[in-house]
Amino acid sequence: MFDFPIFDMPLVGHRLMFAFDAIVHVFISHGAAVGGSIILVLAQWFAIKNNDRKFDELAYKIFFTFFVLATAVGALTGIGIWIHVNIINPAAIGALLRVFFWKWFIEWIVFNLEMIFLLIWFLTWKARPLGTPGKKSHFKIGLYYAIASWLTMAIITAILGFMMTPGNWLASDFPTKPDYLASLMNPSWIPSLGFRTFFSVIWAASAAMMLSWFFTKQDEELRAQAMRFFGRILAACIIPMIVFGYWYYLQFPQAAKDLFTMGVITRRLIATPELATIVTVALALLSLASMLYLYFKPKKAAVWIALVMFIANAALISEFERVREFVRKPYIIYGYMYANGVRVQDMALLNKEGYLKNAAFVPEEYRNPTATTPPEIRIKTGEYLYQMQCRYCHTINGVNSVKARITNLGIQGNADALYQRIKGLNSAATPFMPPFAGTDEEMKALAAYLATLNAPPSQAAAAAKP
Amino acid sequence: MDYFKMIPNDIPLPLPDGGLSFVEPVFHLLLVVAWVVHILFINVLLGASFGAVYFNSKGVKMKNPVFDRVGYLLTTPVTISENMGALWGVAPLLLVSVLFTPLFYAAAIMNSPHWLHIIYGNIAAFLLSYLYKFTWHTLEDRKSLHLVIGVISVALFFTLPPVFMATVQLYITPTTWTYDTHFWDALLRPDTFFRLMHFYFASFAVTGIFMLLYGFYKRKSADELDRQAGDVLVSTGKSWFLVPTVLNFFVGPLVLFSFPSYGLEAFFNSGYYWLILLSIVLALVMIYMLIKGFFNNDLSAKKVWTIVGLMLVVVMSMATLRHGMRLSLTGPAMAEAKAKSLDFQQRAQDAKLEAEAAAAAAPKVQMAQGEALATKHGCLACHSVDNKVVGPAYREVAKKGYDQAKIVALVAAPQPANWPGYTAMPPMPQVPAEDLKVIADWINSLK
Ligand code: HEC
Ligand code: HEC
Repeated sequence: MFDFPIFDMPLVGHRLMFAFDAIVHVFISHGAAVGGSIILVLAQWFAIKNNDRKFDELAYKIFFTFFVLATAVGALTGIGIWIHVNIINPAAIGALLRVFFWKWFIEWIVFNLEMIFLLIWFLTWKARPLGTPGKKSHFKIGLYYAIASWLTMAIITAILGFMMTPGNWLASDFPTKPDYLASLMNPSWIPSLGFRTFFSVIWAASAAMMLSWFFTKQDEELRAQAMRFFGRILAACIIPMIVFGYWYYLQFPQAAKDLFTMGVITRRLIATPELATIVTVALALLSLASMLYLYFKPKKAAVWIALVMFIANAALISEFERVREFVRKPYIIYGYMYANGVRVQDMALLNKEGYLKNAAFVPEEYRNPTATTPPEIRIKTGEYLYQMQCRYCHTINGVNSVKARITNLGIQGNADALYQRIKGLNSAATPFMPPFAGTDEEMKALAAYLATLNAPPSQAAAAAKP
Repeated sequence: MDYFKMIPNDIPLPLPDGGLSFVEPVFHLLLVVAWVVHILFINVLLGASFGAVYFNSKGVKMKNPVFDRVGYLLTTPVTISENMGALWGVAPLLLVSVLFTPLFYAAAIMNSPHWLHIIYGNIAAFLLSYLYKFTWHTLEDRKSLHLVIGVISVALFFTLPPVFMATVQLYITPTTWTYDTHFWDALLRPDTFFRLMHFYFASFAVTGIFMLLYGFYKRKSADELDRQAGDVLVSTGKSWFLVPTVLNFFVGPLVLFSFPSYGLEAFFNSGYYWLILLSIVLALVMIYMLIKGFFNNDLSAKKVWTIVGLMLVVVMSMATLRHGMRLSLTGPAMAEAKAKSLDFQQRAQDAKLEAEAAAAAAPKVQMAQGEALATKHGCLACHSVDNKVVGPAYREVAKKGYDQAKIVALVAAPQPANWPGYTAMPPMPQVPAEDLKVIADWINSLK
């Protein structure tokens, strides 16, 4: 936003940089921690009930993998989400922290418990073998770990739900009075929590099936047993996941629902919206078919079937997260703040006074473009505007390259046409982009800068003339 | 105040203190306490991970299994302190982000993308340290490979504090900001450099005390090798504490006097210097206690616990004076950020009400209603009446002689083939048909 310095991530862009960290975090926190703890507790219960030493050992091997991933990668990428957002969209995370401070604080306390239970459960598994009295209390530690890790998810989904459907949390604009209870009890919290819980278990169970394949190379009986066990857990979660998923979908604002298809595929394929359904259904069928095969023919199934199931599920999760992020556009907090950190309620002031007038980190000479501003200053001014309002989603040459987008429109180097296009950024053709915030002269400066991107230098100078 | 060239606005939402005045001081208290826990874990992480490699290589060189055992024993505090250290870093991060939002985020951005190293560098170091620990026995015959893994992970851990320090120094000194300050400027400043040195020394000192305790405990082990390793830990712990602590007596003042003078003034006026004196005196007592029995490794339990207790007091007092310095330096900037933000919000509110009033009072649009709707739905972002822009001029479209229904259908499902040489128009099924009918009539009226 205008209150912060500018950090531009060339080529990769902010969205992709963030998405990388976030998706790794989702894979691991949902799989290795939340879903993982649930299926491992069930597995340990099963081993205790049948006094099955081999199954207990298999569960430990899966646990070892989950443990390393959850502690080294899961926890750090979780903190990483903050770190990324604080350099990408400080205004948004700053606002979220103020609204959700205490929930985050409680989450941190629960996170402590989670970590302690996890460390104890992991480090003492071997020392409490099956059949000893210590095993029962060890089992309880695992149960507490599962509860704690689910609770952390419960709190975080409240924040994600809030960004999509903030409901009535803002009781007044100025002085700002938030309703903290309304922010927590936002309409999509519970449905999304249910949806995520069940897909976490499915995801963890499919990871466990894949890992079991590798850990039971010597023992086909054990493999069959593992596939049946984890396969049943997986199958049991499918219907609840779909039910919660549909309930969750119903909470989305209409404008967001309209963007669903585009979230699944890209804008270039939007002429064939059926593709979105085809891709999703195909992935789901692929995953289901491989799961059923592993379940019914565990001894015959080749490793690639387990891999296909795992990868199809990973793809479905990524698709869900991408759609969820995409359909929230043009907002970062629905109806309150645009993706580029501008609050909706500040638009009137910025359009009247100018965006750059309020930009603390832009040198004075670039803060007030007028009809008589010299071209170099004007272009540089436009560049600041690009960096402050557009680089959240665009790069110059890389991912979602603004240069390519403009060339595609056929208006490269044409400052007038660009100016017209910028006027309508947030309109029916591109409802996912926030409107430009600023005066008419600022819009022209941005157009002048964009016109230089793919024009030969001589033309660029001409374009900058007011 | 004039010495700030640039100050961002504060976040336009109230602090989450529920409107209760005692909550903000609680935030500060929590910040100091959680930070101390975090930093003690990090100190031990750095010292112990270094020790785990150092003693491993010493064991190889001297062919002495006791040193090998010392190294191995040190991998356990590494695992615990990396997990707990990261976890307890979250609380201070949360609190700093809430209390000093504009300054802290601004500094983090100036230090980017390097700031991200604290995530990715950390993950790499973490995974390597697990690898190092879990292959201790399997790589027994390939010690050089094992040592290389260890050295890389330790080196990575040691690259994290500079990134933190650069950001911390930068956010508490907004007077030093320029329009293009970035990571290396912040890192290579004397204040950052001396603080970093002070921190590294302190890490070894704290690890020294930790080793004292750990060795003391391992000495009672049933395993002979563990007992011998315990002796090594105790004697190493002493020198690891003594040498860096003495050095820090010299580095400390360098840190202190490298801060901007307005901050120092406020710091001294608020009486925080008493904590400096307290820390120095207590550190001297600790040094005395350890030097007195330097060659006597049979420390009594009482003495060890006294030393640990003293260290905790010193660390608490240093953390408090550190916080005092932070408040002294950031106070004026935060006050300005808050005032600026309030003013901005007020103006934004006024402008919003004004715009709403103007919209209500404005006479109905002069333009043809079709044109107004075309503007509203963004059609004019790509079309103009007379000229080709992104899409064809509406006069040209009008010449095609479509009826109203056809135009409505074409907007929901364009047929780019009708306009060779143009890019494709994106389908806009969400534009209401009622509005489109009006727009269509307007387009056709342009013939
Ligand atoms: C919320 C994210 C976001 C922001 C902020 C954003 N854009 Fe976009 N923009 C997009 C997306 C997504 C597309 C479509 C990409 C595609 O076609 O696949 C797009 C497309 C475009 C296009 C092509 C439009 C068309 O009709 O095809 C232009 C031009 C453009 N953006 C310019 C800008 C400018 C200038 C800014 C800053 C004022 C900006 N964008 C800010 C997300 C954003
Ligand atoms: C992103 C730029 C863009 C926007 C916004 C846009 N158009 Fe178009 N329009 C085009 C292009 C490019 C063409 C020519 C290629 C085509 O038809 O796909 C076109 C063609 C048309 C045609 C002629 C179709 C034909 O097949 O002959 C009509 C009618 C039209 N637009 C109406 C509209 C209306 C009404 C709106 C607003 C709701 C609108 N356009 C918004 C780019 C745009």
